Amino acid sequence: MTRWLSSIRNSEALGSVAIFALLFATYFVLKGCRYSFFEAGNLATNVLPLVVVGLAQYFVVLVRGIDLSLGPIMAVSGSLAAVLFPLGIVPAIAIALAAGVLAGALNGLLIARLSLSPIVVTLATMSVWDGVALIVLPVPGGTIPAFLQAVLTSEPALLPMSLILLVGFALLGTWIMSTRFGLQLRAIGGDEIAAEASGVKVARIRFFAYVLAGFLAACAGLYFAISTMAGSPIIGDGYVLPSIGAVVLGGVPLIGGRGSPIGVVMGALILTIIGSLLYFADLADFYQSLINGVILIVVVGAAAVRDWAREALAR
Amino acid sequence: MSESTTSAPGEDRQRALRAFLAARAAPLASLAVILLMLVVCNVMAPGFVSVTNTMHIAQLSAFLGIAAIGQTLVILSGGIDLSIAWTITGTACVYAQVSQGRPAMLLLGLAAALATGLVIGLVNGIGVSKFRISPIVMTLGMNNVIQGATLLYTDGTPSGGVADEGRFFATGFIGPFSVLVLLWIALSIAVIVILRVTRGGRQLLGVGENPLVSYLSGVRNDRVLIAVYGLSGLSAALAGVLYASFSGASFLGMGDTFVLPAIAAVVIGGASIYGGRGGYGGTIIGAFFLTLLTTLLSIVNFSAGARGVIYGGVIIAALLLNRFTQGAAR
Repeated sequence: MTRWLSSIRNSEALGSVAIFALLFATYFVLKGCRYSFFEAGNLATNVLPLVVVGLAQYFVVLVRGIDLSLGPIMAVSGSLAAVLFPLGIVPAIAIALAAGVLAGALNGLLIARLSLSPIVVTLATMSVWDGVALIVLPVPGGTIPAFLQAVLTSEPALLPMSLILLVGFALLGTWIMSTRFGLQLRAIGGDEIAAEASGVKVARIRFFAYVLAGFLAACAGLYFAISTMAGSPIIGDGYVLPSIGAVVLGGVPLIGGRGSPIGVVMGALILTIIGSLLYFADLADFYQSLINGVILIVVVGAAAVRDWAREALAR
Repeated sequence: MSESTTSAPGEDRQRALRAFLAARAAPLASLAVILLMLVVCNVMAPGFVSVTNTMHIAQLSAFLGIAAIGQTLVILSGGIDLSIAWTITGTACVYAQVSQGRPAMLLLGLAAALATGLVIGLVNGIGVSKFRISPIVMTLGMNNVIQGATLLYTDGTPSGGVADEGRFFATGFIGPFSVLVLLWIALSIAVIVILRVTRGGRQLLGVGENPLVSYLSGVRNDRVLIAVYGLSGLSAALAGVLYASFSGASFLGMGDTFVLPAIAAVVIGGASIYGGRGGYGGTIIGAFFLTLLTTLLSIVNFSAGARGVIYGGVIIAALLLNRFTQGAAR
């Protein structure tokens, strides 16, 4: 438990928390200083897929990887579920999640076992899963049981379900990082050779990082399909950049080894609330992608500038 | 006494030949598959392998081949450029919108489009080298920026057009030869010569092979990288201009179908994705291979989904082939 607390306290996520707080305060004031649980639930509903796929990206980035196929994996799992729900809720969900695990295992096999480049491997599997999603479900649709959406929109203990899930996934991520597996992920990202020398099975842990990412992406896809009441074979493209953006905005360096799940959650929240602010400012959709791109470049570039400053001061 | 001096000269030659073949396994294998595909196409559509149709395939390959020039250079330098999708679309929109389909404005449109591409590339290069932003984040972010900028510039609906004089470069023929293919051949020779002969080319390979060694031997790595990404932006812009000339107009998303094939062409060409090894010759084969594959898949009427799966599978196969042959040769 103390390890849990310390991982939250000394996290690199403080900057992201501050940025989110600032943006949220702006939004709050613009909305006329009113905010209800209902709106919080809406925000949580909108941000949840990004949070989950961002966490997926985070585990891969931790071991110095990147996964461009996570969006298409979301599309595959959502499409599969939408097609299979008539067969029964449990098998549909099980197969959708298993597809994510399999997809992650394929990435892990190629990247961790055969040491191929993560960028090119996941670009290729991105094309494969985009294709599979289109084969499974050529046009958006399928059937989602109303019962499942009712569960998602329910309010147990007066709290919106999406908010509970959001906190749940954040805690899940934090818990994983407090386990031995999480420590090994960090060790590999920090110094692979040192990790290997101290007994970490680098290839195996890296493999499981991709498997975990595939599983989480499938969860995100499943959630997206249920909350929108339809499967869509093309949602994936919209999540490739934001999933990396959430990681980067969460203060996680792409060279791996550092950063916390809470930061990633904050990163996803920041991206989503910027979207809301743009909507509020009545700016065209055109600006969303432009601003997302600029933010990503500026945040990563600023990290480099900060490193320079530190080096200059240390000299 | 070392092994090589005891062995017969014939064995040495054999070993050299084996190393030569191993380093080129993927392009050689794809050449074999190209021939196979030509046979299959000719069976499926008799008369497929004719001078006119071969020239047509070469013409289609040229767009990909030219877009992949920059990608080859960037990958050789150890990076990747994911921004070419919207660089192609954006510069095509600039070209069509500035020239407005008027012959007198063609050169102005061309200059504006190429300058836009160059600036995009240079900014990528500065981000990657000076600010040490990882190439994937820099170029993916840049892709989004250009997407937004293009939507704002065109207000969501690209306008203008390309005059017939401009279309000549993409669709015209001199005798039996497509102008576009001739242009591609000229560019290919230039790129290969620059890579193999000039100091800049050697510096580029050096940066890709080992940036630290390159830096310590006095090469200004950052300048090399800025130039490389600049050239990538320029070649994407050229591909955009030519593609717009081919279609007679620009449309949103026209560059989207180039990113994956351009990277795939380089990988199939046998270049190491970690930089330093490979060249443009392999990319030419890769571009042919992929264009022929796309043609074949559309002849046999595969769905878009199946095509995506096969495309991804081919890239993974090429990666594995490179991995096992080059890994052994090293």
